[in-house]
Amino acid sequence: METYLFYILAFITVVTTVLAICEKHPVHAIVYLVTSFFALASIFYLLSAPLVAMFEIIIYAGAVMVLFMFVIMILDLGHPEQVERPGLFYWLPAVFLVEIILFSLVLMLSVHSGVSVKPPAVTVHDFAVTLFTRYGVAIEIISMQLLFAVVGALYLGRRRKI
Amino acid sequence: MKLSLELIVLLPLLGSLFNALLGRIVPRRLAETIACAVIWGSFVAALAAARAYSGPVTMEMASWLSAFDFHAPLTLYLDSLSLILCLMITFVCGLIHVYAVGYMQDEPGYCRFFALLNLFVAAMLLLVLAENLPLLYLGWEGVGFCSYFLIGFWYQDPNNATAGRKAFIVTRIGDVGLALAIVWIFQSLGTVSITQVNQMGHSLPLGVITGLGLLMLLGAMGKSAQVPLMVWLPDAMAGPTPVSAQIHAATMVTAGVYLLMRLFPLIGLSATVTAAIAVTGALTAFYGATCALVQRDLKRILAYSTISQIGYMVLGVGVGALTASTFHLIEHAFFKALLFLGAGCVITALHHEQDIFRMGGLRRTLPATFYCFLAGALCLAGLPLTGGFFSKDGILAAVWQQGGLLGGGLYALGLLTALLTAVYTFRMVFLIFGGNEAQGPLASAPLAAKGKPHQTLPSVMQWTLIPLALLGLGGGLLNLPAYLGQGWMAQLLAPLDHGDQHGLSLGVELTLQGLAASISLAGVALAWFRFGGARRAQRLAEAEQPVRGLAAFLLAGWYVDALYRLLFVRPYAWLSGVLWQGVDEGLVDQSFDQMGTLLGRCGQRLGSWSCGRVSIYLLSLSAGAALCIGWFAWGAL
Amino acid sequence: MIVPLTHVLILAAILFCLGLGCVLAWSSNVIMLLIGIEIMLNAAMLVFVGGSCQWGMADGQVFALMIIAMTSAEVSLALALVVYLHRRRKTVDVDAFRELRDNETKP
Repeated sequence: METYLFYILAFITVVTTVLAICEKHPVHAIVYLVTSFFALASIFYLLSAPLVAMFEIIIYAGAVMVLFMFVIMILDLGHPEQVERPGLFYWLPAVFLVEIILFSLVLMLSVHSGVSVKPPAVTVHDFAVTLFTRYGVAIEIISMQLLFAVVGALYLGRRRKI
Repeated sequence: MKLSLELIVLLPLLGSLFNALLGRIVPRRLAETIACAVIWGSFVAALAAARAYSGPVTMEMASWLSAFDFHAPLTLYLDSLSLILCLMITFVCGLIHVYAVGYMQDEPGYCRFFALLNLFVAAMLLLVLAENLPLLYLGWEGVGFCSYFLIGFWYQDPNNATAGRKAFIVTRIGDVGLALAIVWIFQSLGTVSITQVNQMGHSLPLGVITGLGLLMLLGAMGKSAQVPLMVWLPDAMAGPTPVSAQIHAATMVTAGVYLLMRLFPLIGLSATVTAAIAVTGALTAFYGATCALVQRDLKRILAYSTISQIGYMVLGVGVGALTASTFHLIEHAFFKALLFLGAGCVITALHHEQDIFRMGGLRRTLPATFYCFLAGALCLAGLPLTGGFFSKDGILAAVWQQGGLLGGGLYALGLLTALLTAVYTFRMVFLIFGGNEAQGPLASAPLAAKGKPHQTLPSVMQWTLIPLALLGLGGGLLNLPAYLGQGWMAQLLAPLDHGDQHGLSLGVELTLQGLAASISLAGVALAWFRFGGARRAQRLAEAEQPVRGLAAFLLAGWYVDALYRLLFVRPYAWLSGVLWQGVDEGLVDQSFDQMGTLLGRCGQRLGSWSCGRVSIYLLSLSAGAALCIGWFAWGAL
Repeated sequence: MIVPLTHVLILAAILFCLGLGCVLAWSSNVIMLLIGIEIMLNAAMLVFVGGSCQWGMADGQVFALMIIAMTSAEVSLALALVVYLHRRRKTVDVDAFRELRDNETKP
């Protein structure tokens, strides 16, 4: 049953992502993207990573996308009639290159035969232990990075006499 | 003997080096004295060699070229021909050097002049005494080089430099023939020694001998100014008069004749070659005489006269009369040098006036010069009992003896040329020395106005004419015809001759001599009727009109210069223009320029990649990623 | 594992390429560019989680968390930059900002 669920969710993810990309209105694009993230989080949950799924929804879909929304509103970009779709010169090479990469990746992946092994599922307990023992230093560094980002964002966004 | 031979060649060489290196430091008189002394020293050495001479001698001095089986050592060969020529060259050149001291007394570049003059004599003696062909070629090139330098001695005037260049280039065409012949000889016979080559002549097929002979004839044509390579000699008169006397009358222009004589045992085996030589000589003699008939410049008359007389010598070689040719060569050296030196006296006295229609009355004002010049003119015209008569008659007799259609035709041509020679010679004499001073509408006004008519001549210039005059007139004693006692020169040169000389009967010989004598006297009479006495003033007046018709044709040397300019010079200049602008600048330079520009543009195009546009950078990144991932996928297939 | 790892990876590849296409195509709007980057990062996270599920180790999930954290930082800075640039030039076209080009070549 989970197998079919996975494929359905995968399908939803891909479709909403495509719609998000092709959408002229930025706000609509962001909403489509949030939907895609929800589907992706469900996939994570199916892949026995509930914590990552939660973090994805809370941080990614909740904070990051809202931040996007804020910026769109501030810059007053929400007028679809003023936006013009990218011309041929832009999306043709993009499609071409993307096709090549996709085709090559799929080829490499399908050639490689998967190894069937049945390991135990990862629990939250395992996750926590690994996170705080093995990657303790990484947490500290990431928190410092977030600090840098806050400082940078504050500096860049400050009001100044124009 | 060995010492004498070495000194003959080395003394002028050392004199040249002295003048070239030290001439500016030492006093002028010392430099000039050294220059003349080495030539006279060479003459003394030649006399010593003549006293000790008993037969042909070969002396190897040093080794020079030697590689694989090609050997050309510095070997000197003395036989009767080269001995006679050495004596003549050193004597005449010695006199001319002394003359030149006086002629060039106002010239600041005397060191260069005497160095080159000495070097020339050294090269000429080397040419005459050479035993192998490369050494002869060395002397050949040496005289050509000195000739070029001396013609363009006053190089500040571009005309002189052009004349020197013309001489060099035209003789170079002939030199190519000689060089090819030398290489061919080495390739066929394996040796370049002249004595050996002359003996081996019978082993070669006739075609090869004909080819060799014609190539050597080409070389002789260049150096001796024969048709068709004679265009350089009239222009070479741009050089100083001693140079014209020494190089272009007495010695260098006879080098071609000497070459043909030296190698006659080889090339005389082919009848084609001898016929070609004889025809060339006769045609050239006729050409020179006709052109000299209408010239106005004194030195140009003498130049054309030289061309004509050398034609006679070549004609003599062509019919195998080597003794007669040598005799005429020696005589010609004497009287032509005399005429040139006399012309130098006249020109200097008249403040460098060279147009004979502007001269006059000099027989009263320059008597010594007049009598010597007259002696030379008598020899040139071939008046009976002068040396010139015997020598020219010797050649004509040999031509008659040749017989056949060719011999007869050439004899007639030679006789006609003798008539013309007498005419133009005495035209020259009457116009220069006849009449009264400053007469006629063309006489130089400044001379009369100044009141002092003549520049004073240095006495050396007049004294040196006397020995030459005596030798010219008395030269007949050197080789009297058979009925007056056996010719001394004929005895000396007997080994060279083909022995055809002794076939004429006394009656035929006397008839021929009488015919030649009457022709020359008739020529003098013609000149007198036209240019002598009262008619002289008339001719002067007529000379004011521009020349037309046949006279113009002859004045321009049968328009050969114009012909060569049309046939060779203009297409060559056009070709060089095309190669220069079209190929070199257009193609080569342009292609390099365009390559540079192309590289620059490529660089700019590549540089425009860093345009600052993020979309381009992202595109490049993804393209690179696509390439790498595609490569891996390809490998995974 | 519910599905073979290959299928997960193919899904991730598709998402990655879609994100890349968005980045390349939408250079006229920097917001869409950043959205494309988000999609690509999500695809990477999917690979990590799939790997962690396949081999039963929590390291993949830990790294997915790291990616989320890093992405937040990056997005905040990027959007601050967009706001700043919009204040200067009133445009969100990424090609409009070319001051970093090599000045000797023609623009």
